[in-house]
Amino acid sequence: MTRPLIEARDISKRFGALQALADVDLDIREGEVLALVGDNGAGKSTLVKILSGAHAPSGGDLVMDGKPVEFASPQDSAAAGIATIFQELALSENLSIAENVFLGRELTQRVLGIPFLRHKAMKRRVGELLKELDAHISDPEVPVGSLSGGQRQAVAISRALNLNARLVIMDEPTAALAVAETRKVLQLIRNLADSGRAVILVSHNMHDVFEVGDRIAVFRRGRKIADKMRTETTPEEIVSFITGAHPDVRALEMQS
Amino acid sequence: MSNPLDWFGRREALLAVACLAAVLLFSFLSPYFFNAENLSAVLSNSVELLLVGLGMTLLLGVGGIDVSVGVAMGLAAIAVGRLLQAGVTPAVAGLAGPVAGLLIGVGTGSVVVFGRIPAIVATLGLYGVYRAGIYLCLGGDWLSGLPIGLTELVGTGIAGVPLAFPIVALTYLALYVALRRTPFGPHLLAIGDSEAKARLSGVSVNRTQLLAFIISGGLTGLAASFYVATYRNVEMTIGGTLALEAIAAVVLGGTSVIGGRVSLIGTVLGVLLLRLLQNGLLLSGVPSLWQTVVTGLLLLFVLGIEAVQGRLSLTMLMRSKSGRLASRVAQ
Ligand SMILES: Nc1ncnc2c1ncn2[C@@H]1O[C@H](COP(=O)(O)OP(=O)(O)OP(=O)(O)O)[C@@H](O)[C@H]1O
Ligand SMILES: [Mg+2]
Repeated sequence: MTRPLIEARDISKRFGALQALADVDLDIREGEVLALVGDNGAGKSTLVKILSGAHAPSGGDLVMDGKPVEFASPQDSAAAGIATIFQELALSENLSIAENVFLGRELTQRVLGIPFLRHKAMKRRVGELLKELDAHISDPEVPVGSLSGGQRQAVAISRALNLNARLVIMDEPTAALAVAETRKVLQLIRNLADSGRAVILVSHNMHDVFEVGDRIAVFRRGRKIADKMRTETTPEEIVSFITGAHPDVRALEMQS
Repeated sequence: MSNPLDWFGRREALLAVACLAAVLLFSFLSPYFFNAENLSAVLSNSVELLLVGLGMTLLLGVGGIDVSVGVAMGLAAIAVGRLLQAGVTPAVAGLAGPVAGLLIGVGTGSVVVFGRIPAIVATLGLYGVYRAGIYLCLGGDWLSGLPIGLTELVGTGIAGVPLAFPIVALTYLALYVALRRTPFGPHLLAIGDSEAKARLSGVSVNRTQLLAFIISGGLTGLAASFYVATYRNVEMTIGGTLALEAIAAVVLGGTSVIGGRVSLIGTVLGVLLLRLLQNGLLLSGVPSLWQTVVTGLLLLFVLGIEAVQGRLSLTMLMRSKSGRLASRVAQ
């Protein structure tokens, strides 16, 4: 097997007295959808935020392409080719679709040192991205506040695509979506992986996880307690890991 | 953003109508109101408030505020006045205003941004500091009877047009371009909407906020030069109600008091309405004490409306959250 794109080694994160993540090892591979599952508060979003540079880990290392990396800010992580679609979506409702897709990395042209926005070029690019995603949004200039949940997700994914990301992280992208929109987003996730990108999908929905996930990592109370290929496990087994009913988990928790 | 209604929306239309209504009403109430002389006095009385208000528009838009703009203008005015007294060329003394203002803006902005102190608290503290600074500089005295050079320079202007017109127009244009044509605009609005989200998107929050304070400082200093040119003195109480008036005019103009939405044209109309009301009431025989009451009431009125709108959007927010919870439980 080829070298993973990113290896997380012994990652831990404390928030004061709270151990949100403890000694997590995880490989992230290109072309693979890695599903992160676990109960509320298990630490999934925390891991995502460490990968995206929003939190610094309290311990452990991130290795990318075999080299250790440190992400001091979301910009660092983005520059390394990681695009994150946060659980809270992080879109600005008062800005237009195009402004959101390019927020923080606008296309500009300097005249006398002043960076002027290249509105037309950005609008064109966003139009292409939305078309590629088949998002049924005709005008990139409408404010995001007026869009449906699925359309917002498409805008967030456009942001990731526009970054030309090698790893796309999505934290519960389908949680607020209707059935048809969920289908479309799952298809998008599959397409992203098939195009050679690494994808991390955080989800509570076993159906979604087993539909697009290639590998499933289960988190419980800040620890990774299982890491299985989809073909080697079942939804029932994964659920028993999540709830702690699985014998392995019981044995583990008896120890500590 | 590019929707023309955004640029001149319902709020702006309403304000324009309110200005016209005020003109009509006061023409009716006072024989001294509707004539070229009085109306141009209203305009020239609006210059300082307009410059400070445009800066305040950026500050409120980015989710900040500055209640120390009045005393900041006072400090810059002292710099201009002292230079005039020292016999410096009027043009140079006039430039000292914006330069002093920029420096004060750097100071105020740094305290807020790097001190991580909420803008309202930090600038309230700085208000006290700057006020004391004015006292120390003036030593309980007034700067009065300043040389007339700057007044003549500003009044004669370019080809007979008072300098205020091109300067205000250029300022407006520059801010418009900065907001619409450079990343500063979307960054400012994104931060005003949610600082955390903007940061996650890779917006340099500190730089944008600092820039807003510096621009506001420069405009406040510019206002100081106009103040000195107009009144030719600097008194201890200078700028006492300026922050209140600026915030009232800006919020009246449709800029959100909690950030994320700005209207430059709204600020222009808000300033105009405020000054028309103050002038008209005075000419109609209402004691000048009531001017601040009117300003305060206008601010409370608009904030009341915003609060109602805010409450509406809060219930919408809660609905979408519980909707999401429901979908998660259902799985
Ligand atoms: N910024 C923070 N400060 C303090 N505690 C935090 C912070 N972020 C997360 N936590 C805590 O860390 C733990 C892990 O949270 P995290 O958000 O990673 O869980 P999660 O697996 O994403 O859960 P969910 O499924 O509810 O999204 C929780 O107990 C949470 O309260
Ligand atoms: Mg989470």
